[in-house]
Amino acid sequence: MYHSICFFRSRFIAHKCRLFFLLLITCSWSASSGETIRFNRDIRPILSENCFACHGQDTKKRKAKLRLDQREAAVAEHDGIRAIMPGNLEESEAWARIISEDRDEVMPPSDSHKKLSDKQKETLRKWILQGAEYEKHWSFISPVKPAVPQSGINPIDAFLQERLAAENLKPSRIAEPATLVRRIHLDLTGLPPSPKDVDAFLSDKSSKAVENLIAKLMKKPAYGEHMARYWLDLARYADTHGLHLDNERSMWPYRDWVVRAFNQNIKFDEFTRWQLAGDLLPKATMDQKIASGFNRCNVTTGEGGSINEEWIYRYAVERTSTVAEVWMGLTAGCAVCHDHKFDPISTKEYYSMYSFFHSAADPAMDGNKIDTPPVLRVPKEGALQLQAELDLKIARVDKLIVAAVEKIKYLDPAEIKPAPKPAIKETIWFEDGFPQGKIEATGPPLKLITKEEGPVFSGNLAIRRIANNATGQDVYSGGKFTVPKNGTFFAYCYLDPANPPEAVMVQFNVGGWNHRAVWGAHDKIGWGKVNTFERVVMGPIPEKGKWVRLEFAADKLGLKPGTTVTGYALTQFSGTMGWDHFGISSTTDPAKDPDYSWQAWKKQPETARHLELNPELQKRFKGKAPEKWTAQEESELQKYWLGQKYLGARKQLEPLKAEKAELVKKKAAIEKDTAITFIMADLPKARESFVMIRGEYNNPGEKVSRDVPGFLPALPPKPENRDYNRLDLANWLVDGRHPLTARVAVNRFWQQFFGTGLVKTSADFGTQGQLPSHPELLDWLATQFVEDGWDVQRLVKRILTSHAYRQVSKATPALLEKDPDNRLLARGPRHRLDAEVLRDQALSLGGLLVAKRGGRGVRPYQPPNIWEPVGFASSNTRNYKRGKGEDLYRRSIYTFLKRTAPPPFMATFDGPNREQSCSVRGRSNTPMQALQLMNDIQHVEAARNLAQRIIKEGGAKDEERICWAWRTTTSRHPEPAEIRIMLDLLTEHRQRFRDDLEASQKLISYGESVADKKIMPQELASWTLVANLLLNLDEVVNKN
Amino acid sequence: MDPATEYHQFQSRRRFFQGAGLKVGGIALAQLLGKENHAAAKPTPDGDIHPALPGLPHFAPKAKNLIYLHMNGAPAQQDLFDYKPQMEKFFDKELPDSVRNGQRITTMTSRQKRFPVAPSKFAFERCGKSGILMSELVPHMKGIADDITMIKSVHTEAINHDPACTFVMTGSEVPGKPSLGSWLSYGLGSESQNLPAFVVLTPTVKNPSQALFTRMWTSGFLPSKFDGVKLRSAGDPVLYVKNPPGVLPADRRVMLNALGKLNQKSFERFGDPETQTRIAQYEMAFRMQTSVPELTDLSKESKETLEMYGPNVEKPGSFAQSAILTRRLIERGVRVVQILHRGRDQHSNLPKDIKNQCLDVDQPTTALIKDLKQRGMLKDSLVIFGGEFGRTAYCQGKLTRENYGRDHHPRNFCMWMAGGGIRAGMTYGETDDFSYNVTADPVHLNELNATILHCMGIDNHRFSVPFQGLQQRLTGVENAYPVKRILA
Repeated sequence: MYHSICFFRSRFIAHKCRLFFLLLITCSWSASSGETIRFNRDIRPILSENCFACHGQDTKKRKAKLRLDQREAAVAEHDGIRAIMPGNLEESEAWARIISEDRDEVMPPSDSHKKLSDKQKETLRKWILQGAEYEKHWSFISPVKPAVPQSGINPIDAFLQERLAAENLKPSRIAEPATLVRRIHLDLTGLPPSPKDVDAFLSDKSSKAVENLIAKLMKKPAYGEHMARYWLDLARYADTHGLHLDNERSMWPYRDWVVRAFNQNIKFDEFTRWQLAGDLLPKATMDQKIASGFNRCNVTTGEGGSINEEWIYRYAVERTSTVAEVWMGLTAGCAVCHDHKFDPISTKEYYSMYSFFHSAADPAMDGNKIDTPPVLRVPKEGALQLQAELDLKIARVDKLIVAAVEKIKYLDPAEIKPAPKPAIKETIWFEDGFPQGKIEATGPPLKLITKEEGPVFSGNLAIRRIANNATGQDVYSGGKFTVPKNGTFFAYCYLDPANPPEAVMVQFNVGGWNHRAVWGAHDKIGWGKVNTFERVVMGPIPEKGKWVRLEFAADKLGLKPGTTVTGYALTQFSGTMGWDHFGISSTTDPAKDPDYSWQAWKKQPETARHLELNPELQKRFKGKAPEKWTAQEESELQKYWLGQKYLGARKQLEPLKAEKAELVKKKAAIEKDTAITFIMADLPKARESFVMIRGEYNNPGEKVSRDVPGFLPALPPKPENRDYNRLDLANWLVDGRHPLTARVAVNRFWQQFFGTGLVKTSADFGTQGQLPSHPELLDWLATQFVEDGWDVQRLVKRILTSHAYRQVSKATPALLEKDPDNRLLARGPRHRLDAEVLRDQALSLGGLLVAKRGGRGVRPYQPPNIWEPVGFASSNTRNYKRGKGEDLYRRSIYTFLKRTAPPPFMATFDGPNREQSCSVRGRSNTPMQALQLMNDIQHVEAARNLAQRIIKEGGAKDEERICWAWRTTTSRHPEPAEIRIMLDLLTEHRQRFRDDLEASQKLISYGESVADKKIMPQELASWTLVANLLLNLDEVVNKN
Repeated sequence: MDPATEYHQFQSRRRFFQGAGLKVGGIALAQLLGKENHAAAKPTPDGDIHPALPGLPHFAPKAKNLIYLHMNGAPAQQDLFDYKPQMEKFFDKELPDSVRNGQRITTMTSRQKRFPVAPSKFAFERCGKSGILMSELVPHMKGIADDITMIKSVHTEAINHDPACTFVMTGSEVPGKPSLGSWLSYGLGSESQNLPAFVVLTPTVKNPSQALFTRMWTSGFLPSKFDGVKLRSAGDPVLYVKNPPGVLPADRRVMLNALGKLNQKSFERFGDPETQTRIAQYEMAFRMQTSVPELTDLSKESKETLEMYGPNVEKPGSFAQSAILTRRLIERGVRVVQILHRGRDQHSNLPKDIKNQCLDVDQPTTALIKDLKQRGMLKDSLVIFGGEFGRTAYCQGKLTRENYGRDHHPRNFCMWMAGGGIRAGMTYGETDDFSYNVTADPVHLNELNATILHCMGIDNHRFSVPFQGLQQRLTGVENAYPVKRILA
């Protein structure tokens, strides 16, 4: 295996990170003469980028036995030479190499294509002169809560503004309320505010208007749906397995739980525990188990020919690397193949973490099933209550049954004198023809003859079959007969004296044709193994020239009472014969029949009785002979028998029993209709884990045990009676002392609202990641987050009420020059909306959005040929079958996500395909996006529905309508120039459609929703294109 | 915005970009950089839609465009290009242990009691002056033997389709890395102002055994603007390129004129450079609405040309039509075109099924090479032909002289290359008598990719993006070098 394992996860573009970082240093932190050089801030990035690959901790790649990532090694003497001599440049070999002009001497070596800038050299020079002090990497040191530089304002602003002041910058003014209300709505719910929402905010003149709005929005279901979306990128949630066939998987209860978790504001430490180890929590609740599905969201395969060990290994690696990235911002995957070159994770430490996930109980092959175990059945909302109601009803019917049984005046026929006579009952299976079903023949087709044509035993018709020196038969199938107790089959046959058959046979199908009774030369027919039920020899060939009754007990053929017979065949070898009046008879002697006589039931062997009891009675009466029953026990059993078994009470009890059966059926249906979701579980016996050399699944090295990397805080002492497990790992992550968990989490929330994290590389807090733009602010937020009990809503509120978040987002030339990426936040955030928000916004503005929550992924509009050209022929997600009605208009979080061909509305706008965890989405800006927003049926239909709203709700005059539409889509009033452009546009569209009814109608009937008939098609078409423009406005496509 | 402010903004951004690399999408950057850092892309009045990265290409490229014909499902090298007459003597005899040498095999055949050698039933001949060996399955291709380099010793890591397909196209078995085409469009951009830089075609096949994955042409951790754009045979040829019903190009123009003005106001309001990029992208979208139909309209192709591509050339979704469209795309400046053709996972009935696949691709592929050559375009285009791995010498399932199946075999398989930068009429690499092991000049897929990048003017070691704590490269972590001897 190659180095490929290093790549589970996120999708973000970082090609300019490093350079940008240098820029920041040079413009803000440059070490002016006299300033102390700080290792983490100034030196480590230089060494990490240029030196550690060969002089870092990877022992295999180390050159000249020199490592520069540890001070002891860097300053140590080798053969009289020191790489670094603190305070002395002349004696520092590293420095000599850095400034060397000799191609063979210079460091970094010329063939590495790395080169130090003059500034970097200067920084290194100063550092050596100042004593070459080292620091542990910043993010591996637990944060200490810094003092807030200024009181009386939001601490976020205090930190940010201190820095701005140092840069000679000022924050911008607070944004217009209309801008702000849209920004907050989009950020908290993923939906734009309605004009009414805007008005409500504008009229809230209190100083707490923003807080009030935040509080209001956090209570909405839409808040959970929007927040969950970001987490689902991290969790790599999708609705298919992801590899090979890419069949559907049922995982959506996990998705719905994430939504619920944000709505319920489950604290981030709990949120973590449940997802990493919900299955291990004591008395785990349904939700906790569902949450553990986080570990099952990885892609899996069911590809034929795959080697199990390889995939067990890969899944564990994927899970480990995902957890390391999502909670610790570590790119641990590198250590799969070799000691991490840059961060202090050895392969041994990596596989020690991997060991936590290596014993997962799911199979290597997903089986291409929707329910690859372990899974949990999750009742639908309201199902539990419905089941409880049914239980009540069942209990009520049970009572009625008991009462009805009480009423039975039972007389045991065994005790009646004189004893009642046995009764014989015949059931006819053939008379004058076969029952409804399938009839086949060997030889000529079935021939039924009348009395005029030949011998008929009873009724009007009988079978006649002629077979010349061959097997002939009439075969019936498709019936459903039950073999009664003491059943005896009978059939009448007539053998033509002139041409008698040599053998006759009756056969039965009970799932296979394996029961045969034969008379005469049985070898002539020859089927079945003789002297087994397959061929029971009954006797000589029947007498010819007369109707002979053939008779045999069902159990002689091994057909037990209750057996369902679906078909039978009447067979002969050679000759001419007739068949008639075929069926089964049974004799009932009530005095001896356990279905009628209590005494007879009692007398049965225990095994027979036992089978007929319910589990509770079975338990109580196991091994207890009737003699040992107390009178009370006997009465109890007899009542049970009367209610359940006694055929004499059938008439009284049947309706009640039918009612109960119906209820039980309903209950079963609800049980069956429960959702399935993948959950995490460990094997009963843990797998042994090893360092896998070079990341090869079949190349185990040193054995490892569960542990965490040594540079991080240690796990608490191991319990005596068990090994560490995932719950220990989860607790360790959120115990508040972990240097990374809170920082990584708050940084991601920051990124969600500002577009970029305080640490830009939000998936990499290691030495290769970027330094935080505001280290103290990050640490303050992280420590405060822990102090607040990991309260996400509180954190979000803190961010959204900051001046930084609320200020205008206008980029002045000066600001663009100084801070093009807006890392200093002298202006507010502005960026293109995410894929889901763009679609949901259009649906919402068109009034089409359906608020229904949760459930199996739906299939909205999708162009033809997205799934089909890639899908495997036998995949169950090969053909996209579009949904109907409300399925077309649900929020995007509920769209079915097929990993190998994700929906275009997602893919075009940087939505990840969820094949791996994604910490940051890109924000590209492409012509494909323009085409989609202009022409996609979803957006055109939304535009037409928006047009209908404009016409109906926007007032009477064009200008009023333009203003209403503008405000509805952007939340602000248009400027006169904007109104003019829109009015001109409307005029042009009207001219175009005025004389083209056909085109108008085509445009307004695009999509499943029906155009309002009261509006003139040409008018609606014109406004539809106006609305289409509005949905494409830069201001509408962006959060401003 | 007043001109002075705008100029200032322009200047400040320009300085930033020069110092720190690519900043914004497409046009803004191109306008800012002008010619300074561009070798590959030439600025137009509109600016470049697909600019190259500064500093790229690293050196003068031999090939400007890449055409990748991916024969999905793993074609059997023994039946096409890797002639093994010695296997005849071993018909239905065990594959010698010394050959298999304990190497892993898939669980589809690992439980087979026997591993009988299945010699190819197809006749081979030496073709052209170069004498490259080809079987009767590809009669047309024989005619271009002197234009290609046949590599018989390509090898890969994965033994199953999903990871192998992911590897051949992204250099990684695990999903999440950019595809080859995405790397190239990211690095080199494209000269086309009216079409995407990277276009993908997935012709329809009768029996789509094995799946494709969008990750084979998407951009992984690079921005999605470097995704391959699918040229489709059903529905819109490019997603959403058609106006909605009832809307004419003129209507769209009217709407875009207004949108442009309003977005310009938005730019003045927020000063966001992305807004200008957006304005340009909407214009590009509009141009695509014309350029895509023009591209797919074959009515101006000569009769001779159409005939050369074979009888299916006018059938939408056929490999033949994909092939001629490929030429048209390259003609219009598209950087990378990739055709992914399925249906080669022949575990059984191989002789019959491989024939069908060859019927689909043999003539059109040959025509594409000839067509490029006659137009003088082959020297600027690099063409790759091959699958994700090879197939076994031993038979899977029942073996007769006429019928057999073959399991997956990653240890050696054949690919050929032609065009810019590649020697013509050469065979490279050798395998043992059973086409089971490489015996000379192995070419790992990473080396093949390094070769492709080299032909396109890129030093793979200097072409990386930091991601997940690593300088990620198409060619993997270990150094991979171009195969020098096949370079022209």
